Amino acid sequence: MKRKRDIPEHLRELDAALSRIRFYPRASLGPEVIGRLRRGERLKGVGSPRISRSTLWAIAAALVLIVTGGFWVHRSGREVTVDHCCFDFDGGGRADDGVLVVASHGDQVHRIAVYEDRDGSHSFTPGDVIRIDRGRHVAVDGVTAGGLVTARHCCSDLDGGGPPDDGLVLLSIPPDKVTLVALYESRPGPSQTRLTLR
Amino acid sequence: MTPPTVSNIGKTGSGAAANAEAVCGEWYESHGAAVYNYFRFHVADTEAAEDLTADTFLHVVRAIDCFDPNKGSPKTWILTVARNVLMDWRRRARLRQYVPIGTLHDLAVEAPSPEERLLREEEVGRLMNGIAALAPADRELIGLRYGSELDTAEMAAVLGIREGAVRSRLWRAMSRLREELTS
Repeated sequence: MKRKRDIPEHLRELDAALSRIRFYPRASLGPEVIGRLRRGERLKGVGSPRISRSTLWAIAAALVLIVTGGFWVHRSGREVTVDHCCFDFDGGGRADDGVLVVASHGDQVHRIAVYEDRDGSHSFTPGDVIRIDRGRHVAVDGVTAGGLVTARHCCSDLDGGGPPDDGLVLLSIPPDKVTLVALYESRPGPSQTRLTLR
Repeated sequence: MTPPTVSNIGKTGSGAAANAEAVCGEWYESHGAAVYNYFRFHVADTEAAEDLTADTFLHVVRAIDCFDPNKGSPKTWILTVARNVLMDWRRRARLRQYVPIGTLHDLAVEAPSPEERLLREEEVGRLMNGIAALAPADRELIGLRYGSELDTAEMAAVLGIREGAVRSRLWRAMSRLREELTS
């Protein structure tokens, strides 16, 4: 038999053992299959809702954006809390700083805190160190002596208004002191150059 | 009355569906066991193998217009469908395969005594466990060869590769199975 001659010598015993294996489907399976064909039965799984590949990609992309950007918005009543991480706000050289903004939707800023993301959670957690925490008024915290650097970060939706048109201005003394943080809204046109700090 | 044939599917108007069912019924008689055995080399559960066999023939009756007798035999085409059904099932089920002893009640055994049947079941169970431990590509080759009893030309048609490649890959898969069984 040609098939037997093909088989390498060391595999012939295994070939014989495998060739002896035969399963019998139950006798009623045939009539059952034919009955299902006659009834025009639907295939298993066919018609069940499935998430398309593109939808899965969109969900995955959104998750990646949330996780890597460390960006989340929590709405409570009219106020919105925005947590945005991680960047080098204090000039220390490491992108380990985040900003927590509490604002009315797209309107007044109630609180801004800059924190160092100590635990690498990419969000503000109790173990993180707060570098500056200010209320609704822009204020300079502490000495503004030499070594002051200005940092500007734009643009994201930091006030919960919807469009990503908000920026941050920070005055820092590297590596880890932040003396001022303020939020501004970027508008097209001449006003863009005159920052209205909030 | 015109006997059911592949060539008159789709040409009989309202009788097309009935004709397709009749052809599939005949194909089940001829190749149902080969399809079932193919699945049994991949899944431990007899009920799953039965469901997959039934699903294969439901797919076949729906796609029967796609069958071209000039391109291959009904058996190789049905096993190509079976292969796709299995891949789809695997994607959905993500199951790990294993063969617990005692699930081989559908095994054909010409043994005069229950003791001999038990020994035979143990031997086959050991082989099936070895097959289950192989990579899916190796299981595929062994399932088509020993489950469906395809020759290398038919396997080449199902897998879309050359006969020489089928032979070399099959022997490599069997060598790995041999190692698995002796380890």
